Amino acid sequence: MTNTKHVLIIDDDADFVRAIGDLFASAGYEVASASNGREGLDLAKKLLPDLILLDVMMTERTEGFFTLQQIRAVPELAATPVIVASSIYTDQPLFKVNPDAGWLPASLFLPKPVDPARLIREAARLIAAAASPGATHEGDNAR
Amino acid sequence: MKILKIPKGDLDLFVSVLPAFGELYAPVRRGSGYAFDRPVTWSDVELTYSRTILPPRKLFLPPREETFRFDPQAGFRDRLDEAATKRVLFGVHAYDIYGLNILDRVFAQGKFPDPYYLARRQNTAIIGIDSEPDDRHFARSMNADFVDSGFDLFLSDIGDAFLVLVGTSRGDDMAVMSGCLLDEPTEADFAEYKRRSSARRAAYRTHVELGDLPEILEMEYHSQVWEELGARCLSCGSCSMVCPTCYCFDVSDEVGLGTRAGSRVRSWDSCLFKSHALVAGGENFRHSRASRIKFRFYHKQRGFVAEYGRPSCVGCGRCAAACPAGIDITTVIRMIRGQGDAHPDRPAPVGA
Repeated sequence: MTNTKHVLIIDDDADFVRAIGDLFASAGYEVASASNGREGLDLAKKLLPDLILLDVMMTERTEGFFTLQQIRAVPELAATPVIVASSIYTDQPLFKVNPDAGWLPASLFLPKPVDPARLIREAARLIAAAASPGATHEGDNAR
Repeated sequence: MKILKIPKGDLDLFVSVLPAFGELYAPVRRGSGYAFDRPVTWSDVELTYSRTILPPRKLFLPPREETFRFDPQAGFRDRLDEAATKRVLFGVHAYDIYGLNILDRVFAQGKFPDPYYLARRQNTAIIGIDSEPDDRHFARSMNADFVDSGFDLFLSDIGDAFLVLVGTSRGDDMAVMSGCLLDEPTEADFAEYKRRSSARRAAYRTHVELGDLPEILEMEYHSQVWEELGARCLSCGSCSMVCPTCYCFDVSDEVGLGTRAGSRVRSWDSCLFKSHALVAGGENFRHSRASRIKFRFYHKQRGFVAEYGRPSCVGCGRCAAACPAGIDITTVIRMIRGQGDAHPDRPAPVGA
């Protein structure tokens, strides 16, 4: 039985997926990817990854928000750590609702461009926390 | 009542933050119709739908629900936890909100409020949206084309934006949370609202006369119309399954084999079903199809008026759309009034 952790990247930016996928692979993770929310949701249900890295603005600018809702509606994925990485706050300056205000059921929000070292560090922390007995993830937006 | 506005182009961002108030349900396409369901993307949400196949009632009185479990050792355990989920129901038409307000009178405001219905009602935020009537809608005749209560927010189309009526403190919380997306309306916005409101009233093409209908029903209790309708009705119950205000249910205890433990289940019933008025000893108070369809009309248009002061019909047109025999309530009312023949046109049911 392997102890390799699986990461699913849901992002429509192929360059980002390749770069971040390589980063996770070099850190010892098994990586899968999807280029839109619907495909990502299907893959998440199938793979039950240890962590999901989710973009927001894909085919639609709010796609990741809706995908995250669907992910949380799947009982097996309800507690899976999800890092939302997006530039929505810089691309949509009108949208000023704080991601930590309790409406975004993500484990962590990271603005793009993402700091690779921090991403790997946070991913390891969230996966370890999820594996700990009694760990909760929803609303855990500690930075 | 506070009134704000939101540009149509920002509605997707607004809806994105609604999960703070619960799981999002919205009108989405289902085959040739629409249903309240969880959207996967914003483009799944249909803002200009005609009517959903099932009304929002399904989210408050589920077609089948376990109300409690029993066990000789553990005793009783209610299933109110199932009703505790926070939800946001987005995009509900005025007549369907009116339907929920009618259900409130039965399940939430009587001597014995139903805890399951009450919990779901309290845990579900309602965001309404205005709608254009089609040939089957007659909500204007039922005074259900506008609502002034029963919603947290109500969106009215004013062109490039929606006016947002704030109906409750929860609605106000939604507005505060997403305040960056909302704005103060102008005098021009109000003028446009009034213009569109009048146009929407005028757009209703199907009308029925409600005045003195209970009295006319009293006079027509032995009318041949009921026999003619009984000959056509298939007793399938489709009309009551799709009705926003039908609330009949059956209760059964389901016990596992070889045990005395089990659960009490309630599930939708229909007065059109032959078993509805069947009682112990095999007696059936409404044995014929004619008596059952007559009962349905009398309950909704006469009995409910006497009990609650208005018919339990909101003019959504779902019953006529769903009836495989083409029975249309507006035609039946005209027949009872002596204004129509007994064999009106029979449009194909929706989804056929």
